Order: sequence, then structure tokens, then C-alpha cells
Amino acid sequence: MDNPALECRDVTVAYGSVMALSGVGIAFEQGKIHAVVGQNGAGKTTFARVAAGLVRPAAGELRINGQQVKTGKVKDARAAGVELVHQSFALPPSFTVAEAMEFGSDRGAAIFTRSALQKRWAPHLKSLDVNVDPKRRVRDLPVETQQGIEIARALVADARVLILDEPTAVLSPSGIEMLFERVRKLRDRGVTVILILHKIREVLAIADTVSVLRGGRLVDGPVACAEIGAKRLAEMIVGPAVARTLAPGDADAATGRGAPAAHTANHHTPADAGLVLDMRGVSTQSDAEGPALRDLSLTIKAGEIVGIAGVEGNGQRTLVRAIADLVDAMHGTLAVGGVDVTAAPLARRRAAGLRIIPFERNTEGLSLSSSLWENWSARELLQSRLLSAINPARLKKRCDEALQAWSVHYATTGQQAGSLSGGNAQKVILAREVDADAKLIIAAQPTRGLDIGATAFVWQSLREARDRGCGVLLISSDLDELFDISDRVVVMLSGEVAGTFSAPYRIGAVGAAMTGVSQ
Amino acid sequence: MTGKFVSVLRGLIFIVIALALCGVIFQFAGYSALGMFHSVAEGAFFRPGAWQQSLRWALPLFITAAGVGISFRAGYFNIGAQGQFYLGAICAAFMAEWLNGAPAFVVIPACFAAGMTGGALWALWPGLLRLQSGTDEVITTLMGNFLAGLLLVYVTAGPLKDPSGSGQQASSRPLAAAYRISDSLGLSPTIIVIAALVAVAMWLLVNRTAFGVLASLAGRNPTMVQWQGATVWRLGLSSFLISGALAGLAGTIEFMGPNGRLAGGFLPTHGFTAILIALVANLSVVGTAFVSVFFGGLASAALYLPIMAGLPSAAIEIINAAIALFITAKSGFVDRLLAIGRRSA
Ligand SMILES: Nc1ncnc2c1ncn2[C@@H]1O[C@H](COP(=O)(O)OP(=O)(O)OP(=O)(O)O)[C@@H](O)[C@H]1O
Ligand SMILES: [Mg+2]
Repeated sequence: MDNPALECRDVTVAYGSVMALSGVGIAFEQGKIHAVVGQNGAGKTTFARVAAGLVRPAAGELRINGQQVKTGKVKDARAAGVELVHQSFALPPSFTVAEAMEFGSDRGAAIFTRSALQKRWAPHLKSLDVNVDPKRRVRDLPVETQQGIEIARALVADARVLILDEPTAVLSPSGIEMLFERVRKLRDRGVTVILILHKIREVLAIADTVSVLRGGRLVDGPVACAEIGAKRLAEMIVGPAVARTLAPGDADAATGRGAPAAHTANHHTPADAGLVLDMRGVSTQSDAEGPALRDLSLTIKAGEIVGIAGVEGNGQRTLVRAIADLVDAMHGTLAVGGVDVTAAPLARRRAAGLRIIPFERNTEGLSLSSSLWENWSARELLQSRLLSAINPARLKKRCDEALQAWSVHYATTGQQAGSLSGGNAQKVILAREVDADAKLIIAAQPTRGLDIGATAFVWQSLREARDRGCGVLLISSDLDELFDISDRVVVMLSGEVAGTFSAPYRIGAVGAAMTGVSQ
Repeated sequence: MTGKFVSVLRGLIFIVIALALCGVIFQFAGYSALGMFHSVAEGAFFRPGAWQQSLRWALPLFITAAGVGISFRAGYFNIGAQGQFYLGAICAAFMAEWLNGAPAFVVIPACFAAGMTGGALWALWPGLLRLQSGTDEVITTLMGNFLAGLLLVYVTAGPLKDPSGSGQQASSRPLAAAYRISDSLGLSPTIIVIAALVAVAMWLLVNRTAFGVLASLAGRNPTMVQWQGATVWRLGLSSFLISGALAGLAGTIEFMGPNGRLAGGFLPTHGFTAILIALVANLSVVGTAFVSVFFGGLASAALYLPIMAGLPSAAIEIINAAIALFITAKSGFVDRLLAIGRRSA
């Protein structure tokens, strides 16, 4: 047999008292697509960072193509052909595509002309099927294309092993298809691709083998995907004990085995329930972050979960910002929890019971360099006066209780939010926004980047909030998720409502509304 | 707790490195580095009466630095402490002039109010420009320093000029003895009490109020607090005003205490040293108190060196500059890099 493309032996990484990886030994075969899965905090990102030389393990060795490589040296790993695309990648927004390519990975020339750069990079982008004009600015591009550029950037050098950390988390279903097509082409060119994924459906659709991490240890792998079923894989990820506690419908939706037609309404909102969201004829201007809302009306009753489906970029973000008073509404009225808040700032809307789990966890949701307790207390502190006295010890204690109730994995409440794994960071936001006084919860992609167990947990929490009489607006690009927990699904297209559906959902009809095809 | 300890330790390490660099420079300049440090330490803390002198410099510096820390925490690089300090002194001087003859218990509080208001107003316009139209506060507050310096020259040579003055530097009429809050040595119970009040108030503000937590969140990520419903401009403008008012307070103290009059270009490095202190202390209030004593010691050593030890007082400027060099490297680039690194979870 060939040398493995990438091999770790006995790799151990500790952050303080947290063992991110303990004694992981794993070898990936050449020229295949390998999936790495595991719960939030299982150590997937840490593994990827070790392989790319960004983290130096306390013990263990790294072999690339059979050759031992010094650990903890990006240059060495790169020279051996390993490239990593980060979980939350960030191209400089004001750069043109060509500039981003040139200066992405410390290979930039000192003196350059725009046109020379464009000439240099156009063929490379084209050869990877990234169809984009190298003159365009990064900020004007859809996220799929940005990711394509990020991958192209990783493949500038003669990469033999490409690691993508949760590449599908930012993508719409069609974007995921495009990515998978791209990954398959790379495999056919002989590149070994390692994908870190959460959704079992995606693993089974793309990968040749799958490896499972749990609590920093390798549970099993690489196992050929052909030999493993979704159910077995789900069990390996969460552990048999947790697997039994998942509600059957959730387990199916979370693992991507849900048959949408089978969804039936299992909850009935009382017909006379009051409206927690009453949006009438709201129009906004379009801005850099999305298209305008055009005469949009939307109501949510107490005890109802309304899902928003739609291809990304059809006004979902503008909708959330309009409800949050972060974009100026030109026409229309808005009431939250029965209170008219058309002219009220966000603070008053929040006082009326509005809660927001925003799209961008790391910028809109958390201050990564602040401590957990400060992040968690922000909402409450803003409800009181600026000079009111606080007792940090008590806030920390209550933060502890709240985070534990959401089973967040963390060391102390004084730790920076940025040191949590992606999924745990999201849970901190949930712990803050889903409280007893909430009347309307806007949940924008609340399970993006969460593992199966955590996803089911979020759904359960949203359902419980609904059963307490809360209204929930769920925005998601995952139709399984929408169909599984929404009482009603509204499709948005170009800033307008393109259709409203209720269970049982017909995926064909919803899909047609999303793309604007009339049936 | 441990995090705080580490950051203090880091600050101290930077100072040690800076001092080592100074030692090399002294040695090359033909002085004995050890002898120089020995004299500096003696001048700052170990000669008789040194502590009194060091505290005289430390207390006003602490007051200004505590204010600088507030605006830095909130994410605004208000480097206009020097100008706000001058405006405080100028406004207090005008108030004293205007009320001249009234009883001290009226004049002194009025001067303090005027000085703090003056400092706050000098921070208000850069704050408004920043929050209304995004004008970079580094530029505006820096310009504000020059304007305030010129204004000081104007008032000491114009409206407040002391006609009997004979020195080369124009200065204002001396403050009547009844209104002075200390003698020219500059340490009095009044000043100590004011500094202590500022310390307690700022510590409470930063550590025990909603404002403290929210301003620090806003300083690190304004978008996040905006999504929480905070009016970011209110947090920001309050920080500007507080830092301006404290610098103005220090200016008032210097005018009504040790100086007793205004002179064109007096204490030209006060505000910048205060910025240095805030940065070395990593913006913590307790840290600022300790670091102020250290820099107060250096200030008093700068007077001691040439007179008692026959050494150039420029040595102190070299020490300050070296510390500034290392501290800005630490709090600017390194922290920003760390913040970027953290984004990849
Ligand atoms: N810089 C750090 N400082 C402290 N702890 C860290 C740091 N980076 C990771 N950890 C911890 O190490 C563990 C593994 O984290 P890692 O990011 O590898 O998880 P993950 O499997 O990628 O999770 P997710 O699916 O949520 O992205 C977690 O418990 C995390 O809190
Ligand atoms: Mg991760």
C-alpha cells in the first residue's frame, strides 16, 4: 500500500486542563475524500490545526506522505503539501479577488500592478472552476464564491492534502452541491481532501471514509462510508447513551434522513393566541448587506414557530435587521408582544420581549475577546440603567448556572468567548437569548455548526419556548430543520413573501417558491 | 484573577526590557548604567523626602491616567489628555479671576467645576465628530492638544497676563494664597483626598456598574453591543466626557496647587505620560495607581539628577521613551493579532 497522505501518531494537545486531543493516531489514504466528524469541542479543529502546523502538540508525531514533519511549523507543513481552510474564513473584504489571491498566504510580491495580478490569477481560478472576475471586490461576492476563492488560495502551492474545516456551515444547499462537485474534481486530480463535517447526510453523500472523534479521542476510523449506516454513525458521534435520548423525528432530521413528506403537524397553536410579531407592509432600502424588503407582512402568534425558507441573500438578513431596528424601515408598522414598536429603538423592542440569535456568531453575537460572563450578562445589563450597581460575583455564578443548564463546555466564566469551540460559542448565545421573559425569539441559523446532540437540544429548547407561549422566527437554509420544527414555513424571495406552507410540507412546492418558479 | 496577574506581569517584563535597553544606551553614551539607575532610584524613592516629591507628581498623573483608561477601555483612542489638561487649568484660572475676592469655599469648588467642565468640553467635540461622522479621534484629539497649547500661550500672554511678570515665559497672575490647595511642594491633604475619591469612583465605575461591563464590551466589539440594543454613542460619548473631565481635574489641581499660576507650555508631557501609565497598567484602575507612583518617581528623579548627582535629566526622557516603545508594541499590534487569531475557532 502507498504511504498514507497524512498520518498522526499519538498526538496529544492540551489547553490548560482541557485535553483537546489525547493520543490520537490516524492515517488517511491518498487520493480519497475523508470526513472527520464529532461533537462540538471533540477536537476536530484542533486536529486540523495540528496537521497544518498551526498547533504544536505536546506529544506525538505527524507524517505527510510517509515523511516525518516537524510539528507546529506552518512552513514545514505547507512545504509538505498540507493546506487548511479555516472554519470561519475571512478574506479581506475590500480586496479584489486577485489581490486576495496574491496576498492571502504571505507570498505577495512587493511591487505589483492590478492588471498583472489579474492576469496571473485568472487562469488559476478558472482551472478550479471558480468563475469570478478577478477585478471584483471580495465584499460584493456571495459566500459560495468567497469559499471557492479561499480553496483556490489554498491550492496555489502544490497542495497534496487539503483540509476544509466545516466548509458547509456557511453554504446554502445549492452551494453545498457546488462545493462537493469541486471536492470530487480535486480528488480526481489526486488531491487528498479531509472534510470536517457535522451533518451525517453530507458525510454519506461525499466522503469515502469517515473518522469519528469524541472528547479528544479517536472513536473509530477511517471507516469506509459504504460500510456504515447513518444510525450507527450518529451513535458513534454522540455516544450510545445520548443517542437513545434523541426524539426519533429529531434524530432523523439531524442526521439528514428525514423524509420531508412524512412531517406532520404535531402541534396546534390555539387559534385565538395573541400576536407576538405583527409586521405590516414593511419596506426598507437595500444596502450592502442585502436586498430591500418590499411591502413585507408577517405575523407570528404566541406559541408558534414560523420558519423562513429561502435561498441566501433574498432579504432574510434585512428582515432580521428590520425587526432589530438596525436598518431603517421606510414604510409599515411593527409590533412585538402586542406593543407597537415601529419607532422604538432596539432596547425598547428587547424590553417588549424580543430576543435575537443573530446570523454572525463571532461578530454580532459575541465579543470574542471578552469574558463569558460579560457576554452572557450584556442583555440583562442593558435592561437596567447604565450606572446601576452590579455584583460580578453573582453575575458569574448565575452565568455558571445558565451555561451549565445549556451544557456548554468551558473552564471558567472568566475565560474569553473566543477560546470556546464553535458549537459551544453558539450555546452561550442561546443561553443568553432564550430566557423566561422572551416573547419573540428570532433564531437565525441557530444550529449552524452545531453537532447532532446540540442541534436536537436547540430544537427542543425552541419547542419548549413555544410551549411556554413564545413565538419563534426560525431562519434556516436547512429545509429538514425547517420542516421538522416549524408550524408554518414562509418562503422569501427578493425581499418579498413568495409563499406560505404548512405541514405536511411538499418539498417540491417549497423549492419552486424559493427559486421563483411558478407551478 | 490569574489573567489579571499575567497581564500585570507582562507589563512589568516590558518595563524591565525597556530599562535594559536604556542601560545599553547609557553605557554607550559614556555613563555607568548601574550608577545611572542607582541615582534614578535614589532620586525617585530613596533620598530623604523622595516619597513626598514622587507622590506630588504621581497624584495628578494618576487622575489623568484613570480617565485615559476609561476611554481606551471603551475603544476610543483619546490621546488628547494633554489638551484637556490645559483646558482644565485655563478654565479654572478664568473662574478664579472672575470670582476673585469671594470666599475660598465658593471659589475653590467653582474652579474645580470649571476645570472639569473645560476638560470635558475639550473631549466633547472630538467625541461628537467621531460618533456622528466617524472622524478618527486620534487625529482630532491630537490636533486638540496643539490648539490647547496655543490657547494657553494666548491667555497667559493676553487676558490673564501678569503685568508684573518679568520672566521670559509669560504667565498669569498668581492665585491668591487663600485659594491655593497646596504649597509649591504640591502635596496636601486636599489633593490626596481628591485622588483617593477619583480612584474609588473609577474603580466602582469600571468594576461595579453596568456601564463598566458594557463599555468594555463595546470597546472590544461594538457590533455585538449594538445587537444587544445598546446605544453605542451614549457609551462612547460618556467615556470621552469622563476622560476629559478627569484630565481637566488634574489641570485644575496643578494650577491651584503646586503651580499657583498658569505659564505658557507648563508641564508639556503630562498627558502623554498619563497615556503611557494607562497602557502600562493595562487600563486597570488599581494598576494605574501603582504605575503612577513609578512614573511619579521618575518625574521627581528628573529634577534630582542634574542638581544632586550631576547627571543629565534627559536620562528620564530616554527611560520614558523606551517604555513607550515597548508598551505600544505590546498593546497595539500583539493584541490585535491575538484577536484575529482567535477568530478561527
Ligand atoms: N485556544 C484555545 N484555548 C483554550 N481552549 C481551547 C482553545 N482551542 C480549543 N480549545 C478547547 O479544546 C477543545 C477542542 O476544541 P476544537 O475547536 O478542536 O473543537 P471542534 O471539534 O472543532 O468543535 P466545533 O464543532 O464546535 O468546532 C474544546 O473543548 C475547546 O474549548
Ligand atoms: Mg471546530
